[in-house]
Amino acid sequence: MRVLAMIMAGGASESLSVLTAVRAEPAIPFGGKFRVIDFSLSNCVNSDIYNVALLTQHMPRSLNEHVGVGKPWDLDRSQGGVRLLQPHLGPKQSGWQRGNADAVRRNLDLADEQRADTILILAGDHIYKMDYRPMLRFHQQTQAQVTLAVRRVSPFETYRFGIVSTDPDMRVTGFKEKPRRSRETLASMGIYVFSLPVLKEILADEHANNFGRDVLPRIINGFNVFAYTFEGYWADVGTLQAYWEANMALLAETPALDLYDPDWVIHTRSEEQPPVTIGANAWVGGNLISNGCVIEGIVERSVLSPGVRVAAGAIVRDSVIMNDTTICPHARVERSIVDKEVYINEGAEIGYGVDNVPNRLHPDWLNTGLTAVGKRARIPSGIKIGHNVIINPGVQENYFRTDFVPSGESIE
Amino acid sequence: MRTLAVLMAGGAGTRLTVLSDKRAKPAVPFAGKYRIIDFTLSNCVNSGIYDIAVLTQYRPHSLNAHIGIGKSWDLDRQRGGVHLRQPYQGDNADLDWYRGTADAVYRNLDFIQEKNPDLVLILSGDHIYKMDYRPMIDYHLQKDADLTVGVMEVPLEETDRFGIMTVDDEMRVTEFHEKPKDRDKGTLASMGIYVFNTDLLIQRLSEGTPDRPRIDFGKHVIPDMISQDKVYAYPFEGYWVDVGTIQSYWETNLALTYPETAQVLNLHDPNWVIHTRSEERPPVKLGPQAQVANSLISNGCVIRGQVERSVLSPGVYVSPGAVIRESVIINDTWIGPGAVIDRAIIDESAVVGAGTYIGYGDDLTIANQEMPDKINTGITVVGAGAQIPGGLIIGRNVLIHSGRLESEFPGPEIASGETV
Repeated sequence: MRVLAMIMAGGASESLSVLTAVRAEPAIPFGGKFRVIDFSLSNCVNSDIYNVALLTQHMPRSLNEHVGVGKPWDLDRSQGGVRLLQPHLGPKQSGWQRGNADAVRRNLDLADEQRADTILILAGDHIYKMDYRPMLRFHQQTQAQVTLAVRRVSPFETYRFGIVSTDPDMRVTGFKEKPRRSRETLASMGIYVFSLPVLKEILADEHANNFGRDVLPRIINGFNVFAYTFEGYWADVGTLQAYWEANMALLAETPALDLYDPDWVIHTRSEEQPPVTIGANAWVGGNLISNGCVIEGIVERSVLSPGVRVAAGAIVRDSVIMNDTTICPHARVERSIVDKEVYINEGAEIGYGVDNVPNRLHPDWLNTGLTAVGKRARIPSGIKIGHNVIINPGVQENYFRTDFVPSGESIE
Repeated sequence: MRTLAVLMAGGAGTRLTVLSDKRAKPAVPFAGKYRIIDFTLSNCVNSGIYDIAVLTQYRPHSLNAHIGIGKSWDLDRQRGGVHLRQPYQGDNADLDWYRGTADAVYRNLDFIQEKNPDLVLILSGDHIYKMDYRPMIDYHLQKDADLTVGVMEVPLEETDRFGIMTVDDEMRVTEFHEKPKDRDKGTLASMGIYVFNTDLLIQRLSEGTPDRPRIDFGKHVIPDMISQDKVYAYPFEGYWVDVGTIQSYWETNLALTYPETAQVLNLHDPNWVIHTRSEERPPVKLGPQAQVANSLISNGCVIRGQVERSVLSPGVYVSPGAVIRESVIINDTWIGPGAVIDRAIIDESAVVGAGTYIGYGDDLTIANQEMPDKINTGITVVGAGAQIPGGLIIGRNVLIHSGRLESEFPGPEIASGETV
């Protein structure tokens, strides 16, 4: 079996608000020093799959820089390796991609070039550790033409997933996209194994643009489709709340996702940074803190990326703080997601108050009390900022009209 | 101007005791995630010197693995790059190991001739400092010198530890005394950093005779050159330490946890990055009960106990209830629940059993019986891979050799100054 993995990394993921305003979702920092894409890429190489294509479209620059020639994953190879595929013009298959299936269709020539016979379709925005080899073996043993990875979800959450029904042999007999109520609880994880001729046949239909919406419901009757059950931690970090929760889950004493497993290393492009420096009066219980951080203040239940500075008297709680952000003396950050290189001036308070007014512009994205601060924003000293506030990337001190931003507001 | 840097990395560093048992001194871990040689190598590339030879002799494997093709320093180059040079046998070379620094360079003259640089910069691979070599090279050219020696002011009471240079008003060196007992030679100490004109270096190293040997730069070559060549001293102002002893290794590591040292040896400076081969490790995980103050903690550590004024390398695990004070803990060491570590250096992959107390007792002065000259300041040293059983009480100045197993420990108490 010659496998080519295609990782979907092109979606705009608007519900991640300020985080995806400046980069593709797979390039978002996660778990301190990692990026979301590191999990799928590391799963590939740890599963001995060294032929990987990343399909990009939305703001790919940060992703291009991160993946580069694939050195951290040992994917800088003369045979196979990692390829970043952009939308392109040309005589055929020209123009922007209209969905993940369309993206695959436009790059199917690569599969022939690499003489692959099996295509593994992955999402670039899932946090999980999975060995793909047992799934590929299952695909072979059942002589499936298509295999979907599925996992059990709570019956209250079926509305977020494509729900699969199977017969006792795990042959898929039904598929419903995001049903409100469902008796079945096997959810598709967006991980598919296709035998190449079958994939070509399916994608020959020009209207098949999206795997979940268009492709799967149509192929269940005509093809041998099987479901492979994955048991393990898996998180889709497609919303701010889910992203925050997945980060916080790493803080548990024995987290469901073990980053310290030497047999399943999550590789990433590491910056060269000195060890974490912890000052005399710092308080740092219950955190994940990356190299290059300098902590003089109080940090609790938070995840800090490399190079974050927390000055004396500053307090950070229940937050995700990304690279090189500076938190000045006596500033307070609570229940917030703060992007890279943000400067929080002295005495500023983010996540102030106890109310929970949903964001007025985007009540569907921000409604759980989290405040999101975009890349390189500068927060004026002494300001109070409530919950569910969006502060857009690059906002300067003078964009703030008053010294109080109530919950639910947006600053742009 | 083409400069070739030659790093001396062959010394055994015996005063570091078990830390340099299995590795050359430049490969000893330092400041958490670094190794001693990273500072000199990074100084080279940050000074725009990309042509580097590293001369090894003693236990080079760890150094070879660390430097590899020089990728971490961008030294994996088509032209130049880093070359690891081992002693070798050949048709006319004498069949002996390097006998000293000058001898090591002499045996690699063919390499220097092949590279044909204008200047040779001789460096020591076991010093901790940040230095731009370019101003020194400019100075060498301005003075039209044959040899320029990097020097720095040291306190008068320490002059007997260094090679002391006496200079005239023009900074031309007039006298050189290796570790003088008298205090009247001035306070300019040689840092072991030399800029040579290549032709003269080759000439001076080649004219050795049995009664005027050319084995060591400090002992033979430089004293000889002062009388006949233009030798200048280049004053360096900044932080510079030779971490040659257990005490200075421990002190220098711990000094990095103080804000004052962190300013002079700033590891966070984006314009002078200290490069190293970083292992792929997750961020530091601090459990809810973790208490950490004045410490340097590297990626991959899991801290569930208490750490004060200490430096931890990647992958150290501190169990709940454990206390670490004023210690240096190297990679992947496991500290058991309730263990106490006070003033110790613990090498990589050691295991400290539950409830064991290392550094027990108030008397720091009982020197180690086996190595009284090396371990005598109250620091207990644990070698790599040692497995210390639980419930032990271990005193000060104790030496535990690498790889000791639980069964090799004599009893529940190891008094100060003992060796296992």
